Amino acid sequence: MEVKLQVENEILDKIKHTFHSAEVSIPRKQRVEVKLRNDLIHPFLAYLKDTLGFKHLSHISTVDWLEENEIELVYIVMNYDNLVEVIAKIRLDREKPEIPTLREFWPQIETYEREIHEMYGVNFLGHGNLTDFILEDWEGIPPMRRDFDTVKYAKETYFNRPGREDAQDVRTTITKKSGEEIPELAKVYSVRHLE
Amino acid sequence: MREKETTIYLGPQHPGITGNMMVKLKVTGDTIVSAETHVGYLHRAFEKLMEARTWLQCFPIVCRICVPEPDPNEENLSRVIEEIEGREVPERAKYIRVLVLELSRLATYLLWMGGQSGSMGLYTMPQWTVGDRDYILDLFEQLTGGRVYHMYIWPGGVRRDLPEGFGDKVLKVMDYLEKRLKDYDDLLFNNALFYKRAKGVGVIDKAKAQEWGVVGAPLRGCGIKHDVRIDEPYEVYDKLNFIVPTYEGGDVWARAMVRRQEFEQSISIVRQVIENMPGGDFYNKIPNPLNWRVPPGDAYVKTESARGEFGYYAVSDGSLKPRRVHARGPAYVHGVSLLERILQGANIADVSFIMNSLGTCPPEIER
Repeated sequence: MEVKLQVENEILDKIKHTFHSAEVSIPRKQRVEVKLRNDLIHPFLAYLKDTLGFKHLSHISTVDWLEENEIELVYIVMNYDNLVEVIAKIRLDREKPEIPTLREFWPQIETYEREIHEMYGVNFLGHGNLTDFILEDWEGIPPMRRDFDTVKYAKETYFNRPGREDAQDVRTTITKKSGEEIPELAKVYSVRHLE
Repeated sequence: MREKETTIYLGPQHPGITGNMMVKLKVTGDTIVSAETHVGYLHRAFEKLMEARTWLQCFPIVCRICVPEPDPNEENLSRVIEEIEGREVPERAKYIRVLVLELSRLATYLLWMGGQSGSMGLYTMPQWTVGDRDYILDLFEQLTGGRVYHMYIWPGGVRRDLPEGFGDKVLKVMDYLEKRLKDYDDLLFNNALFYKRAKGVGVIDKAKAQEWGVVGAPLRGCGIKHDVRIDEPYEVYDKLNFIVPTYEGGDVWARAMVRRQEFEQSISIVRQVIENMPGGDFYNKIPNPLNWRVPPGDAYVKTESARGEFGYYAVSDGSLKPRRVHARGPAYVHGVSLLERILQGANIADVSFIMNSLGTCPPEIER
């Protein structure tokens, strides 16, 4: 069955016509994906919201591409009239991620930007309120970045309650107490084993 | 004489607050001048944890993102994986998923009715609704083995088939709830006390509602007809008959009436699902989950949860574990920027009343 993508193609044409450098694709019905140059996200979202009627901001997400030394920001906006969602992606330099704030477009962006600043260290210029959101007085690399080692942090920060030192890994404790070896079959069911 | 401005901290431990979060209020007399939401009491780094787990190991984590309604999380994560992978889901599994989602919606609405009336001092209602919710939890227990967290929906379908005679049990509970709705009407929805208390309180501006990111019942309470089940039908919602109720006003009362109508619609959807339940397979088997690589790609899917649009954005880099899973709960917008805005000018006594009507859920804000 052929799926008609008339509305999606119209939007694709309009975006391509206005932003020549944008890579636009249609992954499926009701979705248009746009990869943009960093400095174009501001005019692009303004164009979507004011000219094409994409009034609803669904979501802003962040992906850390450690290997490529980039941080990706994903803006998902929706149009209630033609029910299409545009997924706009930009990639920032991971060493110094900076981008002007977009809080004048949608007031709730303030919350998203505060969280992304806190968790990924992206600096939103002109935001004015990049204070602590979820974490409190955090130092060091932002915790959602891929190179943040959760296990190391937990070992350095937290300690066992006195008397509970042996109760950390149930399997080891049981083998220690019973004197039995862990069967090979059970060892397989560990994520570490797979790496 | 000018009244002095005082600061009040509501929460993080407060019976009127739906979870652990704090609202810092600046008040003069009884009136709120400004409100500021403080979260961080429930942060469990779920999204970070998921990056260190295999895809299937994420399921026990995601359902804990929202305690009152865990099922949209499971369904969303399953569907986002299926979309990246291009996996087909059997028809029967889709119907069972809708059944679970609608039962979860009913359970959430029952809990909300309790919270909404509890926050205005009407304490009979929570006793009734929480008791009635238990009948739905009993159904869940029989179907999935868990009462609150189910981990039942997973990529490719559902974990188990319906037990024998389950449909009749569901219909029996639906008949009971429908009969019970008359009592709820008498006590809450047709109650003059509730009307006087809720009318004109916590008003969302219709013109601004879309830009502010309002979704779900609060948006339909502003008179804007938008429901993910209609706009972007997922599973088998395009084959079911139901209406999307809207009310004008944008206040607590309008939101309550929208949910009241949706409660009836959900009962009707559950009946249709049981009636039209097809036979066949309920699970399209995934490969060995310990060595299951989802092809590289990304997708955004969404569900209409009882509190609004619930979306999941997931990225796979082709390894055993997700590169990124991001949950977008309706409370992220409702509980922070929207709440701060509409609390201005409200009465101190209405804070938890308004919070309940927006469906604020702090664990979903922090994840």
